[in-house]
Amino acid sequence: MVPRLTTPRIFLVLVLLAGVHLVAQPAQTNAASSCARCHAAQAGPQPDTPMGRGMQWPDANPLFKSHPQLSFRKAPYTYRVETKGNQTLYSVTDGTRTISLPIHWSFGKGAQTWLFERDGNLYESMVSYYPSIDGLEITTGDSALTPQNLDEAVGRKLTKTEPKDCFGCHSTGAVSMGKLHLERLEPGVTCEHCHAGANAHMVAAFQGEAYGTAPPDLKGLSSEDISSFCGQCHRTWEMVVRSNWRGEVNVRFQPYRLANSKCFDGTDPRISCIACHDPHQDLVTEDSSYDATCLACHASTNQAANLSAQTVVHREAKPCTVASANCVSCHMPKVKLPNGLVTFHDHEIRIVKPGAPYPD
Amino acid sequence: MQNDVPRAIELYSRAVQVNPKWPEGWWFLGSLQYGTGAYVPARDALSRYIELIPTGGPAFALRGLCEFETGQYAQALGDIQHGISQGAANQPRNEQILRYHEALLQTRLGNYTSALKMYSIFAKNGVTNPELLAAIGLAGLRMPLLPKDVGTEQQGLVSAAGDAAYRFLAGDEASATRAFRDLFQRFPTAPNVHFLYGYLLFAADPDAALAEFQQELRITPSNADAEVMAAWGLLLHNSGAEALPYAQKAAEQEPALPSAQLVLGRSLMETGDLKEGTFYLEKARQLDPNNLEVHLALAKAYSKSGRKEDARCERILSLQLSNSNGATLDHP
Repeated sequence: MVPRLTTPRIFLVLVLLAGVHLVAQPAQTNAASSCARCHAAQAGPQPDTPMGRGMQWPDANPLFKSHPQLSFRKAPYTYRVETKGNQTLYSVTDGTRTISLPIHWSFGKGAQTWLFERDGNLYESMVSYYPSIDGLEITTGDSALTPQNLDEAVGRKLTKTEPKDCFGCHSTGAVSMGKLHLERLEPGVTCEHCHAGANAHMVAAFQGEAYGTAPPDLKGLSSEDISSFCGQCHRTWEMVVRSNWRGEVNVRFQPYRLANSKCFDGTDPRISCIACHDPHQDLVTEDSSYDATCLACHASTNQAANLSAQTVVHREAKPCTVASANCVSCHMPKVKLPNGLVTFHDHEIRIVKPGAPYPD
Repeated sequence: MQNDVPRAIELYSRAVQVNPKWPEGWWFLGSLQYGTGAYVPARDALSRYIELIPTGGPAFALRGLCEFETGQYAQALGDIQHGISQGAANQPRNEQILRYHEALLQTRLGNYTSALKMYSIFAKNGVTNPELLAAIGLAGLRMPLLPKDVGTEQQGLVSAAGDAAYRFLAGDEASATRAFRDLFQRFPTAPNVHFLYGYLLFAADPDAALAEFQQELRITPSNADAEVMAAWGLLLHNSGAEALPYAQKAAEQEPALPSAQLVLGRSLMETGDLKEGTFYLEKARQLDPNNLEVHLALAKAYSKSGRKEDARCERILSLQLSNSNGATLDHP
């Protein structure tokens, strides 16, 4: 059984938002610093990872401090994101009329999209910040939208289900018993988000009862179950198939891509998400750092001899005849999303043939 | 004399007797007979045409409409669907007639989900009339009847259910909510009313849908479909343990229902009984080999048990089915 994220999964629905004032910004608590007293290696670096900063309050968003003036024009509309003090305003003008709204929630650490409230509804900003261009462009997935007026140009009104999806994955505590509670959320993925019961365990630990109250150990899950667990936000294989998301856009959904790999084995820990990624650490971007994981299956005799004792090597898989390093650079090629602004390593591990279409 | 249909029928009948290999003769004879309500001879004439021109989509469709009138519902559905696949619905008016009859037949044969999907196209296009509302009501209330077969005592319920569902399918949720509230008040013990509302809510609000399925089970405790949907909603919440009792009851009540076997298998798998779970999922696959959800669940079950190749086969099948369905599936 896959443990549940405490902010339940992404197929769920929003309570009726109309007429409800949504914005309540509690002081940000920092549970991770308390967890770090005992779990320093995990809880210490995690808050600054892309997941830890999956959502940020405007006044804690480094982007707004480093880029107090951002602008973008897509005729006939001009967009501005301007920060003064602790407030960031998102404005759209058609030259005669201007709509300005305060940004309440920033989603993402690098690339960022903003959510704001308007007339009791939540909207996703029509433009987002992309580090690859160090500026604004149309939000991924919205490029096909053609606003008919200034009100539509502001952003995309979220559907009923989306707020719970967005906040459920990018923050902690926002969704409880199937309901959205924005007043309770902690920004980003905190310890409690993945380790249900972490907060209670911490309280118990302070009272000297740490043993027996620890949340379930996720490391014990099978590769299939880890994919299902991480896939609650990164999308499981079945979510992608059920929704029939095809084409390069699904490169974002790593559990789906990984499960399509010929070498994926739901019971082999060498191919699980956490075989390569430590979610408590920042994403490692050097290709060579993943070699040892690949060689745990694909090592030649000589390579096996050089691997550390911790790397369990069963050489049942063929070694690569082309190279002995930087495996992911060929076998997990980088794929750009259709807007060309965001790139992901394709997690469908394979022998890539020149000119072959993207296997979706 | 123009428009002398009886005379034309007589002449065509004589002509095809003289030349039985004249396809157009059979076609005109069959379509004229259909127009006069002579459904049995029309069906037979169209069968002769189809023998000569097996790719004639419109002939299949028209024969299906004849069979609809003669009460051969399964054959009618098969012929209409085949006709549509051969281009019989390429003109908007023909499409409306054929899709409507297809939906009526799906309801009559117990395929309520398919029928509601078809009716949603009518609702989105603003097509409405009292018979359509009754037809939607029948599909929604899971009554295997045609509108003409609804008894007087049921007509109020069926029409009101159809009207509420129509509003929902047309996208007018506020008005649909009011209509359903009114429906619940007027018919507090009618079976499948809460099921219908839950079914419609499911895609956008599974929590509210679950509450409706549970309410349905309070009214009709033997409703296996409501048990299935309650279990399914909970499974999508990753609440396998809560789903299991519903799934067990559904499978006990309707062992031949593929979705009951599916939710039972999936609930068992999610609660750690992989072996039993796989057994029931394989049973579901036997009962409904083209059910995407069954293949998705089996892919997971096989993967979890280390049956890598079997998992891969199920994944490939799932992708093929997802491609052919081409749309989001919300129900098992």
